[in-house]
Amino acid sequence: MASVAIVTDSNSGITQAVGREMGIFVLPMPFMIDDETYFEDINLTQEGFYKKLASGANIATSQPSPESVLKLWDNVLSEYDELVHIPMSSGLSGSCQSAMILAEEYQGRVQVVNNQRISVTQRQSCLDAKLLASKGKNAKEIKEFLEADKFNSSIYIMLNTLYYLKKGGRITPAAAAIGTMLRLKPVLQIQGEKLDAFAKARTTNQGKSIMLNAIKADIEKRFGGMTPDRHIWLQIAHTANPDEAFSYRDEVLEHFPGYDVHVDALSLSVACHIGPGALALACCRKIDL
Amino acid sequence: MSLQQIDAGMLSRMFLAGAKNLESKKEWINELNVFPVPDGDTGTNMTMTIMSAAREVTQLGDAVSMPGLCKAISGGSLRGARGNSGVILSQLFRGFTRRIKEEQALTIPILAEAFDKAVETAYKAVMKPKEGTILTVARGAAEKAEELAESGCADMETFLSTVIKHAEYVLSQTPEMLPVLKQAGVVDSGGQGLIAVMSGAFDAFLGKEIDFSIKPAPGSGANGGSVRESRAEEQVEIKFGYCTEFIIMLNKTFNIKTEMDFKAYLESIGDSIVCVADDDVVKVHVHTNDPGLAIQKALKYGALSNMKIDNMRLEHQEKLFKAAQASKPAPATELSAPLKDYGFIAVSAGDGINEIFKSLGVDYIIEGGQTMNPSTADILDAVEKVNAKTIFILPNNKNIILAANQAAELTAEKDLFVIPTKTIPQGITAVINFVPDLTADENEANMLSEIGNVSTGQVTYAVRDTVIDDKEIKKGDFMGIGDDGILAVGSDIAGVAGDTVSKMMNQESELISIYYGSDVKEEDAESFRAQMADRYPDCDIELQYGGQPIYYYVMSVE
Repeated sequence: MASVAIVTDSNSGITQAVGREMGIFVLPMPFMIDDETYFEDINLTQEGFYKKLASGANIATSQPSPESVLKLWDNVLSEYDELVHIPMSSGLSGSCQSAMILAEEYQGRVQVVNNQRISVTQRQSCLDAKLLASKGKNAKEIKEFLEADKFNSSIYIMLNTLYYLKKGGRITPAAAAIGTMLRLKPVLQIQGEKLDAFAKARTTNQGKSIMLNAIKADIEKRFGGMTPDRHIWLQIAHTANPDEAFSYRDEVLEHFPGYDVHVDALSLSVACHIGPGALALACCRKIDL
Repeated sequence: MSLQQIDAGMLSRMFLAGAKNLESKKEWINELNVFPVPDGDTGTNMTMTIMSAAREVTQLGDAVSMPGLCKAISGGSLRGARGNSGVILSQLFRGFTRRIKEEQALTIPILAEAFDKAVETAYKAVMKPKEGTILTVARGAAEKAEELAESGCADMETFLSTVIKHAEYVLSQTPEMLPVLKQAGVVDSGGQGLIAVMSGAFDAFLGKEIDFSIKPAPGSGANGGSVRESRAEEQVEIKFGYCTEFIIMLNKTFNIKTEMDFKAYLESIGDSIVCVADDDVVKVHVHTNDPGLAIQKALKYGALSNMKIDNMRLEHQEKLFKAAQASKPAPATELSAPLKDYGFIAVSAGDGINEIFKSLGVDYIIEGGQTMNPSTADILDAVEKVNAKTIFILPNNKNIILAANQAAELTAEKDLFVIPTKTIPQGITAVINFVPDLTADENEANMLSEIGNVSTGQVTYAVRDTVIDDKEIKKGDFMGIGDDGILAVGSDIAGVAGDTVSKMMNQESELISIYYGSDVKEEDAESFRAQMADRYPDCDIELQYGGQPIYYYVMSVE
């Protein structure tokens, strides 16, 4: 049986330390902050990032350099026969596209998964990939499996402010038009592609219940309903907002008793577009083996 | 020996006399409103409702038939219904006429059954019928009528006078049933309005001399009233040159909805419209610059007869007419753009509030609310103009919800969802929480649950002395009215507004929204906002210009 390694980028929210523990290789995403390059979780912490964001620093995301990708792959392949690379959503970054081109040189030993996930749902894909590998699937089979499963996830994000969204421009015009006379908290959705407008709220509580209702509707309509085997993973993500995230988890658990609700920080590449204080609720359908 | 049966002619006179009597007592009935807020209320709403029917009855002329009369009373009041009491009155008429429309003349047993049917229909129209209101008075009258009919009462005059006396007794008991009435020292205003209608009708039955002339609706071309008399004035400034008249011999159903559509079309091409539908014919009168359009449209409903077209103006006036026509909006019925999935209609007052609703995506604003409750017909008209398959209606006033529900029942082509918003802030919250990706039912459920989390307080002044919720109120005092009653009373606007907010706050309150009205200066509103920000440092405070009349501040806490 071929040995298969799982590689992802730091958008998955999997830190270097957790990655080592789980046996997942994590490529740090680079950030250009006031013309200096930082690497997520290497020389840029969450706290450091938000401090710079708040100070009004000019923050730009960028793709990992081809060199860093190739170096990591080569390292991994010196120990493993094959690897599955799970980058952030191709709808939000060119990283996936670049990785696919680089992978062509590896005669199938590197399989790049284009399943349009980000943050907590990307993390879940890595866990799924790990599970599939342990069941004896090879890299190509894992890639195909995950791509077939790509729409079985859903993310809603409530923003505390429209400022960063307007500044970044990485949203559809519909979402940008949300800004009206009243101060509103937009609720965005990610269903694979780009961030898009979903709804709006006036208060945090309204936003939380909008997200909860949306996830419930998705589960009901797209993911086969709430069943006794609890075949849904739930996730909560936040940008510099852990207290709110944990109290939201308690509220979510009231509606989904006994479910697994993972809480994580939202990846910085998303955070720099939406700013601090955001809260997200996501779900993934558990994979069928 | 007095009259023992009531025929269509007598019933028509009685109805008009009832309408006139209600109109003459309108102001007095308005005074009976429990809340001393400055708004045109029960008396005005009931009068506008019954006058809409009275105009249709007047058009029938002298040769009235029972079915035609019933249709005029029922249809006219249904379309003209405004406010809760108006809607209930229209439902009473609807039930009453349903029972009698097949009869030649009304006897005591038939009348007793018709009263019963009226009450049954009206109770059904109200989701949570409250005792001590117009409904109770109507029921009291119906029960007395049944009792008299069963005991073999044979004299019509005795029957009618006994029923009315009993209804007056029930009215006098309404303060015992509704504590708010007792405290304010009044009887129920809607019940008083109903008594006015019945007494007026009884006077006509007794043959008292009554002025039956019904004024045409003010400012509306579609009044149907005395068209002939008005022609003299029109010659001064004629906008529409051809007086066009014809009768449609119907070969398609012509219900209230089609009638509304047809009238709306006529209004788009002319004025002085009369459109009277009987069972199988529709009489049409319109002043227009293009009689062909009216005729073409009418041909869709059946064959035409008794056609008459007169040129009412000279050639050189043509220019004036063209300008007038150009300013007319395009007829709604000819909209060809594809229907969008969802639309919103909001009842709103104040330019600032209107702007807020528009910026949130509301398609059509019906101006109204406190001072003027829009009628069912106004709402149907708005529905016509909104180009969407499913329309959410936000009445934003508890007195408009029933009229909106009635409009929803009369609409077949579009799905109407009335979200029972009782205040402007509830309406704003409802539209904000709309999610385009969800189904209409899911949205309705979400909006209903969210409006329950909004607490509203509105600051206005008292128009008379009264006592409500154990608070003594003097004429000219400022009052803060919450969702369930008076929250604060005082002589200083900002003080009352602040006290009102403090009563609305709870532990989970996150946001205080303040919409200041047209009578409040911006700097005063700003200083009130600053005061609130000091008092509630953990809350977001948002101040917006509302521009609403009557209410200095409309505020919400959520």
